[in-house]
Amino acid sequence: MTLRLGRHEFADDATLMMAIVNRTPDSFYDRGATWDEGQAHERVAAVVAEGAEIVDIGGIKAAPGAEIGPAEEKARVVDFVAQVRASYPELVISVDTWRAEVGRAVCEAGADVLNDAWGGADPELVDVAAEFGAGLVCTHTGGVRPRTRPFRIEYDDVVAAAITDTVAYAERAVAAGVARESVVIDPAHDFGKNTFHSLEITRRLGEMVETGWPVLVSLSNKDFVGETLDLPVGERLTGTLAATAVCAMAGARIYRVHEVAESRQVVDMVWSIAGRRPPRRAMRGLQ
Amino acid sequence: MSRVVLVPGTLALLPEYAGIEDPVAALRATCLEAVGWLGAEVSVLADEQGARVAAHLLASTPRTGDEPSYLVVGNGSACRTEKAPGYLDERATGFDADLARALTAPDPAALAAIDPETSAELLAATDGIRSLGDVLTPDHVATVDYDDDPYGVQYWVVRWTARLP
Repeated sequence: MTLRLGRHEFADDATLMMAIVNRTPDSFYDRGATWDEGQAHERVAAVVAEGAEIVDIGGIKAAPGAEIGPAEEKARVVDFVAQVRASYPELVISVDTWRAEVGRAVCEAGADVLNDAWGGADPELVDVAAEFGAGLVCTHTGGVRPRTRPFRIEYDDVVAAAITDTVAYAERAVAAGVARESVVIDPAHDFGKNTFHSLEITRRLGEMVETGWPVLVSLSNKDFVGETLDLPVGERLTGTLAATAVCAMAGARIYRVHEVAESRQVVDMVWSIAGRRPPRRAMRGLQ
Repeated sequence: MSRVVLVPGTLALLPEYAGIEDPVAALRATCLEAVGWLGAEVSVLADEQGARVAAHLLASTPRTGDEPSYLVVGNGSACRTEKAPGYLDERATGFDADLARALTAPDPAALAAIDPETSAELLAATDGIRSLGDVLTPDHVATVDYDDDPYGVQYWVVRWTARLP
């Protein structure tokens, strides 16, 4: 099925790089590197140059911290979305928010996708996506509230739970009027999950792909990589790319990343190994 | 009046080996144009791999006309540079130059007399080209559409038609 993200369409075998652009002073990886608006624009220009098809703009870090209300969240992202929209008509703009109020404002400013990292915490977000013809990312969080860390969460079967919850969310979105070809599911590594859960989700990602919904994975530099390798933030790229390769082999379609070029190489390589993409330019042995 | 075309046997022309970018785009375009110049019915002169290349090019070109037509698949040496598939062989340049002269003259007797052993040593695909000795006459006129060795392998695209009496 063709994937339609707002005003953009992609073939059903296309893989997409979603570059993270934080409008926060305190996100875990970049620690406010793009809090300054000029630097945020530079980040967008850089990831576009690296081939990112999507930018995912977020105004609130995922981890607990100072309360950021809807007004402040909008102040951080809405005008920025409008500026990016004007500068990059071909770029898919996603906004990482769980709030319908914020979703409405960014869609009016030109956003194509609402990335609901908190699994439907605001039930009206689907209505906003439907109203604006936006794409929607339906994540699994195990039912935790936004901006909380997992604490002793357990599952009978984490993959089954992720599939049940994300597919139910996806169907709810479609029932609310979101186009079926604009809905993406995301198991949400680390969200409502311990490291063992995230590793199992990675290992069994193919089961999510088999649902037929396009799967997004957000692996980049996360704690499950850090704990697995006992490495701090800043030293997790290799582990991230290993997890990326496994998810690509399973058929994930969208990769939410900090490092665009490296992730693109890994996904292209694995996609070709899987026989879903020809080599870029092959002449060896064929001369 | 017969029409005869020579194209190289590079497997990069086959769809099963297509990449996102075509490493032989110019060569392919030239081959297709030349093959499209042949008549509807075409006799193929080629080894087994060359026959696959011929079949693909013929299937890719709409052709009309009842001129007797021949598609020959073959190429010169694959030892022209250190990066070539067969590494640099000092004999390659001379071998290819002799072959070029025989093709363009044309000299059917010289083509029929190409040494298969030297061809094999230089990785030249000449089975089909040797058969040209039975097809071409000194009355044929050659037009060279492509003459290059982009990967250390000598490729030609040549069209022949009989000189008007």
